[in-house]
Amino acid sequence: MQKYLSQENFSTLLEKLIASGKRVVAPKLNAGTVLYEPLKNPAEIVIDRMPRRSGKEAFFPICEEIISYGKEGQKVTVTDIDPARFPETVLVGVRPCDAAAIPMLDAVFSWDYRDEFFLERRKKTTVVGMACTEADDACFCTAVGLSPGDPKGGDILLTQVEGGGYLCRAQSEKGEALVAAHAALFSEPDGHKSLPLAEPQTEKIDLQKVKKWLDTNFEHPDWDSIATRCVGCGACAFVCPACHCFDIVDEGTEKSGTRRKNWDACGFWKFTHHASGHNPRDLQPKRYRNRIMHKFKYYDDKFGQRLCTGCGRCIRLCPAGIDIAAIVEDISKK
Amino acid sequence: MSTPGTKHDFEPKIIAFVCTWCTYAGADLAGTSRMQYPANVRLLKFPCTGRIDPIFILKAFQQGADGVLVSGCHPGDCHYIAGNFHARRRFAAFRKLLEFVGVDLNRLQFSWVSAAEGGKWVEVVTELTERVRCMGPMLEFKELALEEQWSGKLDSLELQEAYNQIQV
Amino acid sequence: MTQPIDTSIYTAVTDAIRTEAARILSDGTVTAVAGYAAARRKGSSQPIVVSDAGNADKLIFTAACVNNLAVYLTKAKKDIPKSGRIGVVVKGCDLRALVGLMGESQLKRDDLYLIGVPCAGVLGSTIQPATELNTDTIAPKCLECVERLPVGCDFVPAVTPPPAPELEKKYASEIARLEAMTPAERWAYWKEQFSKCIKCYACRQVCPFCFCEQCLCDRNRPQMVETTPRPAGNMAWHIVRAMHLAGRCAGCAECERACPMDIPLNLLNRKMAKELKELFDYESGFEVLECGPLATFTEKDDQSFIK
Repeated sequence: MQKYLSQENFSTLLEKLIASGKRVVAPKLNAGTVLYEPLKNPAEIVIDRMPRRSGKEAFFPICEEIISYGKEGQKVTVTDIDPARFPETVLVGVRPCDAAAIPMLDAVFSWDYRDEFFLERRKKTTVVGMACTEADDACFCTAVGLSPGDPKGGDILLTQVEGGGYLCRAQSEKGEALVAAHAALFSEPDGHKSLPLAEPQTEKIDLQKVKKWLDTNFEHPDWDSIATRCVGCGACAFVCPACHCFDIVDEGTEKSGTRRKNWDACGFWKFTHHASGHNPRDLQPKRYRNRIMHKFKYYDDKFGQRLCTGCGRCIRLCPAGIDIAAIVEDISKK
Repeated sequence: MSTPGTKHDFEPKIIAFVCTWCTYAGADLAGTSRMQYPANVRLLKFPCTGRIDPIFILKAFQQGADGVLVSGCHPGDCHYIAGNFHARRRFAAFRKLLEFVGVDLNRLQFSWVSAAEGGKWVEVVTELTERVRCMGPMLEFKELALEEQWSGKLDSLELQEAYNQIQV
Repeated sequence: MTQPIDTSIYTAVTDAIRTEAARILSDGTVTAVAGYAAARRKGSSQPIVVSDAGNADKLIFTAACVNNLAVYLTKAKKDIPKSGRIGVVVKGCDLRALVGLMGESQLKRDDLYLIGVPCAGVLGSTIQPATELNTDTIAPKCLECVERLPVGCDFVPAVTPPPAPELEKKYASEIARLEAMTPAERWAYWKEQFSKCIKCYACRQVCPFCFCEQCLCDRNRPQMVETTPRPAGNMAWHIVRAMHLAGRCAGCAECERACPMDIPLNLLNRKMAKELKELFDYESGFEVLECGPLATFTEKDDQSFIK
């Protein structure tokens, strides 16, 4: 059911959510960069600029504690993290490309092993999406089968309307509960017309054909030319809404320390470096191949969908100007 | 200067990175000559000041040092001929960097103390200890070590309790 | 006030690069040429390696040709075939990095064929590639550039770059602003900046001077720098990075450009360069020297800070 939420009431809603002790995460400025971060007051929200990182941090933190340990004399203590301490979160202003990645992560983290850390945080998070009214030439959601108004993955979708305010569509129990809890702020949608949505300038890519080529061309000379320019940083994976690899490290001293889970990236040399010293992905093209393979083949093999939502962040931020949309499009024409 | 036996509210932790040939021997001489100096200083012995990586200083601060001392042979006296000359340049640059990121350089001292300078060792250590004592604990790195990036932060137990009350 | 910057020379530069690349590839002077080619997005460019004279017309030079290609020549990033002499398209700032690398015995001058670019400036890091170059969109490093016409190259197109716009030197003024703060204020500034760091190591990977086979910060026995992207580990990483580049960084500002989180990394590098100039009268990247300022010494070095 569609409702109208005025700009003023939107601020009031955020204010009430913050006051209720929930962590309200939304795009805001941090030292000049727009990032999804907890709001202290509603005025901090920035909706007209794409955040640099995706919203996945809200349930897949950059770095989180898994256990901590201490040692005193012969006595060793290990302390687990109580999932009750994960904060109740409302993620607001999520772009459709970021929201669409959430079910992809859900699938991975609840597959053969259920990742309690992810799933508990996820359970405690309500996702309020916001349709895009602007796209730049790195955006390619339409090329991978999504759109700037796609409701996938969100609990509520907001669409900006002419003259201010939003049309609000709750599309899950969580979303309905949030609207119901603040029903006084919403009114009937009559007469409010949504702003025209963004129109990314990319043509639809035949992803079946891409997969077919990837299925048979693990070894292909083209990988070298595709990835020669990759410098081996993790920028693409870290800004990606769908990438979900992590590393586990112990940090501390003999007496006490913490085991932490960090984001990791397949572009790193260290990613597949074995304890023996052997590295099966010894050259950068092999690492970059994994990025493409994972997104457009391996994930598809397992879950029947692609691990890319076309947000375009990796294209905008790649230090070497690598354009995944162009690469995939080329593959689809091979 | 403090007199031995005085009680203080704050006992700074001072880490001293010293070369084995000069300063360590100098500190030893201070000991065998029964000179008094603050027990706040913890010595770490290196073959040469040239071996002391700036990262050690950083690590010391990160792990709770309130002040750091780096000390070795006087110029020209290096057991390895030029180790301390290299160190001198490196530390000249490193302290500028630390200053630029916001570390108060009063917490970092460099000195030349020879094997015969037990008295100078006492003087250097005492002065640094008392200076750092007046400045109070070095909180910057300690606070940083406890901070989490927002996404990994957990609700405090108090906040958790507050939630439970709301739900009731 | 925003003023346009004249980039009309880039058409002539592009033509000259293509002609020269085709010539040296076909007569066997080089086996490959590393340069820039147009990419899918309007006005964008990406690094390319051309090994066939027929493909030389793919090469371009525009204000979006921001990368420092020197990074593709250093040891740890040796993926570009080095079977013979290689041609490289270099801006003045990139050339300084190559000069530094030659000094550190990572490259031999004889293995390179340098195609210098008379440069009017390139775009800043977060600017859309199709944007016109003007005094607002130009990369801050270009405002402090002293080498718009690279010297000592094998080939430089015969065009004269327009004079540099007289603008505020952003790094110099920002360094002065930070220096005027108290240590606590500076700490707060960097803490906020580093809080954005995600340890993607783009700054390290694009740096021509970060050529170690294994970075100290990737080692865990002993672990000198925390690998977790928490505030403590971020601060330590950036201090270590700045220190390891002190006296070597040639100012190409690739670290800052590559940073997906807009951390002003070159500020640290410029500050160190400024200090080393004051302390040891050294500036990197102008001549091939056997030893950088921190790999050598004189008996008369300043020791006023040592008791």
